[in-house]
Amino acid sequence: MTAFLLLTLAFAVQATFETRSQIDNTFARQAEIQQSQIQLEELLRLQIDEENSLRGYSLTRDEFYVGQYRQAASGYAATEDAIRRTLAAQQLYGPSQLLGDYARLQSEWRNEVAAPLLRNPRNRLVELDKRNKLFSDYETRTVAAIRETLAATNASLVHSTQQQLDRSSYWRAFWLLVFGLLAILFNAYRSRANRELEQERTVTEILQRAFRSESVPLPHCEVGSAYLSATDHMAVGGDVFDVYRLSSTQALVLIADVSGKGVDAAVLTAFIKFMIRAIALRQSEPAAILSEFNLAFSKAVGNPYLFVSMFVGVLDTSTLRLQYGSAGHDCTYVRSRNGVRQLPVTGPVLGVMEEPFSNETVDLLPGDTLVLATDGLTEVRNRAGELLGDDAMGVIARAGPHAQQLADELVAYVKERGGRRLRDDLAILAIRVLDGEPADA
Amino acid sequence: MRKAVLALMVLWLAGVGFASADCKVHRGVHVVLYSTTDDPSVLIWDSRPRLREYYSASFDAAQAMLPHALLVAPGTHAQVLSCVQNYVVSPLFHSPDDAVGVTITSGQHRGVIRWVLGSDVRTTHH
Repeated sequence: MTAFLLLTLAFAVQATFETRSQIDNTFARQAEIQQSQIQLEELLRLQIDEENSLRGYSLTRDEFYVGQYRQAASGYAATEDAIRRTLAAQQLYGPSQLLGDYARLQSEWRNEVAAPLLRNPRNRLVELDKRNKLFSDYETRTVAAIRETLAATNASLVHSTQQQLDRSSYWRAFWLLVFGLLAILFNAYRSRANRELEQERTVTEILQRAFRSESVPLPHCEVGSAYLSATDHMAVGGDVFDVYRLSSTQALVLIADVSGKGVDAAVLTAFIKFMIRAIALRQSEPAAILSEFNLAFSKAVGNPYLFVSMFVGVLDTSTLRLQYGSAGHDCTYVRSRNGVRQLPVTGPVLGVMEEPFSNETVDLLPGDTLVLATDGLTEVRNRAGELLGDDAMGVIARAGPHAQQLADELVAYVKERGGRRLRDDLAILAIRVLDGEPADA
Repeated sequence: MRKAVLALMVLWLAGVGFASADCKVHRGVHVVLYSTTDDPSVLIWDSRPRLREYYSASFDAAQAMLPHALLVAPGTHAQVLSCVQNYVVSPLFHSPDDAVGVTITSGQHRGVIRWVLGSDVRTTHH
């Protein structure tokens, strides 16, 4: 649609310039023709001057009239030459030929009428007068014919200019109409698309808010979380996290990222959250939870293009031991006094293949923070288009000490780095072990 | 014999005059001969076809016809004997012109009967 709009605009602009060029050309031609018309009247005046000078000489024998005659004859030649050049340039062959006839008549008149009279002004014969009249009649008629042709050409050019202006107006109106209609259609289409997207986004966000875990207090730990939506015109992604107490000392820790976006992905997050909870009540090991979920997910969803990266951990708050399984989810870190380290994945993403998953164990110390994030953290790009990648660990290391503070600062960092270019949602779950030994350890 | 021919010519001219009621001048009207402002002297012709031929012929053909024309000074008086509407047609005219038969009533050609172009004939207002 945008291309059509641009094309319409381009046509309108091109047509305007083309018309302008044509009208310029026509005006230039008109100016030349009008100049020729003026010069033609000047030529006729010079011819009459020649004849009147000759009459004056014939009647008075005053040499003054001979000078006038020669001056007019000289001016006649120069003016006739100027008109001839213009007519040739304008390719007006008819008037050009008539002008040739006119010049020839005038030349013959000079030879046959003017020259004998100048030689002997006393012998002004009747026959010579008649010949003078004949020349005068024919020259007048020839000039009239040239005048008429030039006037017709000029009128034709005026008509042509008017036609070009009319045509230009019609085309401008047409393109304006097309442009306007396309713009209206485009606007309607875009409004509708935005409305639909906004509705979907609202539904999805409501769903996700409902499915996302509220803050669950854990013994000897503080929990922080944050969620950042991508820009408004992007559909909401399928990020989910959960902290669920399995017993008085054990908690299920979950973060997952479903491929795809929109309501479907949001609904899947609910499926993931409650299914993992249900499995975790029966299976104590994260690897087993992932395997069972993988099987259930493949059978329930049946979409080979849909997959989930997931981190499932079981945290014992009395021993501070975290046992986890990571199905292709690599945005998981532990921040300790010695720095930040990334937790290795223990199996492939879910929904792709039935590979066995393994468990890993991490013993946390007081002051350590478990940081779980989705790929919105590592895949955020700066203005140069560079991914954050492993530099995320540096950002985590520099963040504030408390869990919620850390989550908020990570979100702020991503917002600043990504600006309006955020392509993916971001979920952060941070669990910090409080300083001091657990009370029931 | 000469008088008889003249009388016949007058009668013929008069007959034509009766048949041309829509001419701009009518029989008996007194006129002054005056051509274009470029050259106001007037050629008068001994026959109506020659008058027409002069205005449609080539320059050379028109030149050959000149012995059949008289040149009268502008302001020469005449009386209309007849008129043929739109008789003279020329590719150079916007519209056909009348052929007017006149008797010259002043100047050296007084009494001569000839044909003249309608637009060279000006009616007098006295």
